[in-house]
Amino acid sequence: MYFLLEQILNGVSSGAVYAIVAVGMTMIFGVMRAINFAHGEYYMIGTFGGWYATSALGLPYPAAILFGVAVTIVIAYVIGKFVMQRMIGAPVEASVVATLGVSLVLQNTAILIFGGSYKFFSAGYIEPVFFGDVGIAQQRLLIILVCILVFLGLELMVGFTRMGKTIRAVSQNIEACEVVGIDVKKVVMTTFILGTALAGFSGILTAPVNVSVYGGMGEIITFKTLPIIVMGGLGNVRGTLAAAMILGIAESLVAGHFGLQYRDSVGFITLILMLLWRPHGLFSSRARF
Amino acid sequence: MTKSSFRTVLSASTMALCAAMALPALAQDADIKIGLVSPNSGANARYGSFAQRGAALAAKEINEAGGIDGRMIEIFPADSVCTPVEGVSATQRLINQNEVDFIIGDICSSVTLAMQPLVEDAKVVLVNAASSNPQITYQAGVGGYKYSFRNYPTDEVRALSIAKYAAEKGLTKLAVLSVDSDYGRGAIDFTKKYIDDLGVTLVSEDYYKEGEVDFRSVLTKVRKSDAQAILMYGLADTTPIIARQMIEAGLAGKLPLLGNGEFSAAATIEAAPKAMDGAIEAAAWLPAYDSEGSKAFVAAYEAAYDGEEPNNHAYGHWETLHLLAQAIDDADSIDADAVVAALEAISFESPMGTITFDDHHQAIRPLLLLEIEDNAPVVTGSVTGAVTYADN
Amino acid sequence: MNNTPLSTTASDPKRRNLRAPIVIALAVVALGAPMVLGTYAVHAMVIALIFLLPAHGLNLLVGYTGMLSLAQAAFFGLGAYASALMSIHLGTSFPVNMLAAIALACVIAVPLGIPALRLRDTSFVMCTLGFVIIGQAISKNWISVTRGDMGLNNIDKPTVGLAGYSWTASNPVEAYYLALVLAAFATWVFWLVVRSPAGRNLVAIRENETLAESLGIPTWNYRLAAFVIAAGFGGAGGSLYVHYISVASPLMFQTLYTTTMLIIVLGGGAGSITGVIFGSFLFVALSEGLRIAPELRMIAYGLSLLILVFRFPQGFAPFLMRIWDWAGGVDKKEGSA
Repeated sequence: MYFLLEQILNGVSSGAVYAIVAVGMTMIFGVMRAINFAHGEYYMIGTFGGWYATSALGLPYPAAILFGVAVTIVIAYVIGKFVMQRMIGAPVEASVVATLGVSLVLQNTAILIFGGSYKFFSAGYIEPVFFGDVGIAQQRLLIILVCILVFLGLELMVGFTRMGKTIRAVSQNIEACEVVGIDVKKVVMTTFILGTALAGFSGILTAPVNVSVYGGMGEIITFKTLPIIVMGGLGNVRGTLAAAMILGIAESLVAGHFGLQYRDSVGFITLILMLLWRPHGLFSSRARF
Repeated sequence: MTKSSFRTVLSASTMALCAAMALPALAQDADIKIGLVSPNSGANARYGSFAQRGAALAAKEINEAGGIDGRMIEIFPADSVCTPVEGVSATQRLINQNEVDFIIGDICSSVTLAMQPLVEDAKVVLVNAASSNPQITYQAGVGGYKYSFRNYPTDEVRALSIAKYAAEKGLTKLAVLSVDSDYGRGAIDFTKKYIDDLGVTLVSEDYYKEGEVDFRSVLTKVRKSDAQAILMYGLADTTPIIARQMIEAGLAGKLPLLGNGEFSAAATIEAAPKAMDGAIEAAAWLPAYDSEGSKAFVAAYEAAYDGEEPNNHAYGHWETLHLLAQAIDDADSIDADAVVAALEAISFESPMGTITFDDHHQAIRPLLLLEIEDNAPVVTGSVTGAVTYADN
Repeated sequence: MNNTPLSTTASDPKRRNLRAPIVIALAVVALGAPMVLGTYAVHAMVIALIFLLPAHGLNLLVGYTGMLSLAQAAFFGLGAYASALMSIHLGTSFPVNMLAAIALACVIAVPLGIPALRLRDTSFVMCTLGFVIIGQAISKNWISVTRGDMGLNNIDKPTVGLAGYSWTASNPVEAYYLALVLAAFATWVFWLVVRSPAGRNLVAIRENETLAESLGIPTWNYRLAAFVIAAGFGGAGGSLYVHYISVASPLMFQTLYTTTMLIIVLGGGAGSITGVIFGSFLFVALSEGLRIAPELRMIAYGLSLLILVFRFPQGFAPFLMRIWDWAGGVDKKEGSA
């Protein structure tokens, strides 16, 4: 029982990371109807930004977070202008190929600029806190806390701010928004930057516990996130949080009871089983936001 | 028009390839061309970079010392993306377009396995410096492919010496946490061959996928078990992650790490000194190894690449190019058969000791046993073991 | 679509119809290429022909049925493993292995397709991507059969035997002719499928499924059949691939293979046979041509995907169509073929 509780705690801590990355991806899907295969790359860019700030510029960790997020936003702005805005209304195939292209470019540009060798992230708060017998790094508690704050913030934003309401409107019906004069391009751009900034932010937050920094690190995150956003009901923020936690805990239990080697298939197996039972996701995308 | 556009595409790529060759072709005819296949893009680019840099450094050193009998070495890098089909294409290009005389590569075993029949048909000598799949040498030399060599320790010797050492230290209950690859799985398979005789048992077996970052569940499970040590044949950049998470899980200082995965790299120890203390590794090379040649290599590498600490792939490719250069010098020719004969007969003095090849073209080379004490590696022994090819 | 344009009626009677000469010239080029090109270029063309097989399958799904499936890579890997295992354990010859690979891919596609085809759009894409990920997990963890990451190696070069006479494609040139024959055959089969009434029904389903249903077309059966046939093409490609490259490993389930097939179909032009054939050669020429700049290769590759999506949203099929029209005499401008 105690063991189970500890595995669940481990699951929640990885679920929190997935949730922050996935919520950005699902919001982007909501306004654009495009699967962003490059989403993990923004997580990578954020991590690289944070790594560069701490190791080359000698900034303290909190400043590195700001630096990393700022770098992600700048790059997301460029990609948003040249690629994502043109994807509005494009077919699924186009968005898949274009974002795969963006992913290749970003990944290999990072390798080109920073070289291919290993980089270790040494900042952050990795000292463990013990609750009885169970240890957990301070950094992970920070991640869980940030995750709660991010979701509270998003709930408030989509519920009470003008921006949030327009995002919700565009998610529901693009044509109608154009008719009533909402600047769809601007909404898409804002959502894209917000979503990718969250991915970058999550990258820097996890860097202290994930340690290794390299150009190809985003791909794994993308593949973890894809089943989550489908399970969560594409575009559904609360559903994404729930799906991320379910996946985090399921992975943790599988790794703890069956073996780590089966962990990566958990996401897609859960997804397929779930789609058999409920083809529209655990949480309807109608209840989006 | 369709025909010509079809041709345009083909001829455009051919012309582009020729343009790329124009530069080397203008250089001396007498240059010795060496192809270097390694992953340089995608997720595994982080291994290829060290290989390229190590080999480039060796080429520079050889050329500055006057080349091989006055002939300069030129490296032709090629990207395999760690994918067999890309590796085969890269190798075909090296052989047929760049007309390289020798090839060093790849890191990823599946790519090396796919390259072996190609170099055999083309009669180009391939020296591998980093793939650990045992098949590579089972099928080389008297096993079939006479142009393939491997200058990398076999995991069998490594696994046996670690298991023995563990048993001597009284660590008889081991939890396996290895990388899910031919290297990680292969080393554990070899371990299983010997543990019964040594009285060692494996209490659990977990294999992590490349790029895995979350080991907490497994470490929690290990803590609940009665394991006395963690047996890990892992990836260098994952070791610090596991070490850090061992601290979190309260395992640091209680269960030592055994196996291989660049435990002794300064950055790894620095990332989690508490967890790395007492770690035992069997390594082909380590940056801190106290020999003149090895120290000189580390200094030259760090000077050449902005203070970056070399890893074992950097060293392996550096050493392999020097070894190949000596074989060419011994053969006094770049003729493939002459160089094969020279490699078979070679006795190369590397910074780590003498290297020779057995009849399966597998390097017989020393392997160091080291233990981390007070945040620094201490070499506790050295083994040179030959592989027995009984069961293939 | 491959419909011959009606505009041929507008052609100038004095103008020669160049279509037959073009087809003959292309056939001559295809047959003669290995005599002119070096081994490396021939090898690149073998790769193009191998990837053409799963690409035909994907084209049937994307171009004719309107379903974006990423599962082709899974069937490609399945075919490769099936062939490799048969070759190693049973010692069967290449044609037998290939037929078995096709059959197995088709059989497995049925239980996978039934749940997957209930899904639409993004969910379907994700579900098919899941098949690839699970395929990789199986190939990695079912060690007693697949040898996990060690992979299967030393798989025999493709040997074709007929009445006591046998021939082995032991070098790229021979492999090229084998691949050419197989690709031509596969293209012919594909053409038969899409030209049949069934193929036209698929297009009807793509254009308007509800309407097709109301006309009495059993849309579900058709979509499942398309998924199964596509899997068969994928299995065939995997079989040819493994006998040529000689290694099967979990690396075959990497994104790179999926991406390759997608680019061939979408770059060539979904829904067009000639487009996809052109796409497979264009893709290989691009990927190999970029080797001149190893550091920039994948960046340039990524950028060309973006150019493809934004500049040629329909792929190169419309461009080829114009050439075809011109060759048929629609455009009066003189030019050499």
